[in-house]
Amino acid sequence: MNDTVVHVDHLSKHFRILNRREGLGGAIRDLFSADYKTVRAVDDISFDIQAGEIVGYIGPNGAGKSTTIKMMTGVLKPSDGTLLVSGNEPYANRRRNAQTMGVVFGQRTQLWWDLPVIESFRILKEIYRVDDATYEKHLGMFNELVDLKALYSQPVRKLSLGQRMLCDITASFLHNPRIVFLDEPSIGLDVSVKSKIRSVIRELNRAQRTTIILTTHDLGDVEALCRRIIIIDKGKIIYDGPIGKVTALFGAYRTLKVQIHNYKEGTSDQLEAALGARFGGDAAIAVEHTETGWTDVTVNQDQVPLFDVLRFVMETLPIKDVRIVEISMENVVQQIYDGALK
Amino acid sequence: MRTLLHYVRLYVLIATQYVKARMQYRADFWISSVGMVFTSIATVFVFWVLFHSIPDLAGWSFDEILFIYAFYLLSVVPLQLFFDNIWQLRFHVVEGSFIKYYLRPINMMFYYMSDMVDLKGWVQLALGVFMLIYASQRLGLTWNLWRLGVLGMALFSSSLVAISILTIAACATFWIVGSFPVMDLALKIRDFSPYPMTIFDGFFRFLFTYLIPIGFVAFYPSQFFLRPEQVPLLTYFSPLMGIGSFALAYFVWTKGVNSYTGTGS
Repeated sequence: MNDTVVHVDHLSKHFRILNRREGLGGAIRDLFSADYKTVRAVDDISFDIQAGEIVGYIGPNGAGKSTTIKMMTGVLKPSDGTLLVSGNEPYANRRRNAQTMGVVFGQRTQLWWDLPVIESFRILKEIYRVDDATYEKHLGMFNELVDLKALYSQPVRKLSLGQRMLCDITASFLHNPRIVFLDEPSIGLDVSVKSKIRSVIRELNRAQRTTIILTTHDLGDVEALCRRIIIIDKGKIIYDGPIGKVTALFGAYRTLKVQIHNYKEGTSDQLEAALGARFGGDAAIAVEHTETGWTDVTVNQDQVPLFDVLRFVMETLPIKDVRIVEISMENVVQQIYDGALK
Repeated sequence: MRTLLHYVRLYVLIATQYVKARMQYRADFWISSVGMVFTSIATVFVFWVLFHSIPDLAGWSFDEILFIYAFYLLSVVPLQLFFDNIWQLRFHVVEGSFIKYYLRPINMMFYYMSDMVDLKGWVQLALGVFMLIYASQRLGLTWNLWRLGVLGMALFSSSLVAISILTIAACATFWIVGSFPVMDLALKIRDFSPYPMTIFDGFFRFLFTYLIPIGFVAFYPSQFFLRPEQVPLLTYFSPLMGIGSFALAYFVWTKGVNSYTGTGS
């Protein structure tokens, strides 16, 4: 038997959405309207994932990530193409598929809200028909990884977000699934909890050779866990390959966020021109004014020292506040479009 | 058979845990139970006032109406106990939390409904039994094993009808965003079920018998006990109506579940 856990071949998902008109009159006309547009949420994608891989499935909001995950977990029916998870068509064999997979959604728990954590685990043991020996073995392993025992008697609703996430992840591995989908597992968590969650995921992947598909906004998660990433945007795969190439490229990028005193229309263009004149006109520095009032100056440190740019900006404009952040997912996608990986 | 046992074990496991957890909210249990008892007493009071001004209602006496009402209370107990989560369906669907019910290797309707056990259903059961005994005594009805068996069968069919009507109404949320009016309408229509269908004229009687068969929730099945000498032929179709409407409700549920696309994330 070959070791392909997920087989995706020319997979598409289209939604028919009503073109809505504005105002009350428009709303009434919409009632009788047959004016649909087709949205290609996922548009002809193909890839294979092998047993034991941890794959980062990333992209900006609305790129088609969750639509793909929903198809792989059997929630949505593909419009076109082939999709096999552990040899099953997820949508057609929802229950059989569910038996061999685990799913964690970072934003909502799947444990029983009012029940103590351990009772949720017992119910899951019954649902998946896990035998006593396996159950005990798994719980023992989780106890070594994260000290969950102290939480067992707490109702789920009383756990902190981080504790709940650890419990949800533990629960998703209880029945020894072949594949686990982790959707934004570190969203809203602080740095120390993030690192704990990452080490637990890595350990679980190693212990049972469980395939893991990770969707995230956090490039840090991807860097820490994945060897391979698939980047999707507007329903199409724009990159599928080793993470090294991407981090080598984007690891050097930083975004300098500045708040400019008396910002006026056109200030950011002037700044970009001034930066271009000072540091050279290529794409190493991009300036963009955001809706939140911050102006983003994205710099490739391999080409231009960040500190020089900061000093130049501070000297040129009256700056109220400054932050330095890692490059955002949206920016990565934009850079790939602009040919950064070619 | 093995599957059935699995589901029974699972339900007992979830329900006992749930009851334990709910016991932490004792005030909630007592207040909602008292509220429910008062609603029932108020309804009986309305009947009582009604019968004070008129001697009978389309040939039905107060005691007979009381019997039908008791039957109605009992027939909605399973809905209350096992299908109470149906009320939350539109919130889960609109907020996207419904997606979790797709992800376990068990029947989705079972999983969804098992997520809530409404304890005041037991209070309703006690109230219904008490009223049924009281009404039968006043009517001079005698109970034997055969009649109890028929009662069980009739209640089983009736509760399936009650469950199906609300399930179908709740499923509207899969296709309509603001689906509360549908649910509300179903509830209002269900409130007609403890009345003798003979008080309605042609159109409504047809509607409540065949299209939205609330007549089968209490009135038609209770004929077996109230007027055994003149049971309309229709009454014998109660089990068929129960099973048929539940099959339809399950079909609508499955359609709805399969057409759900979820929220953005």
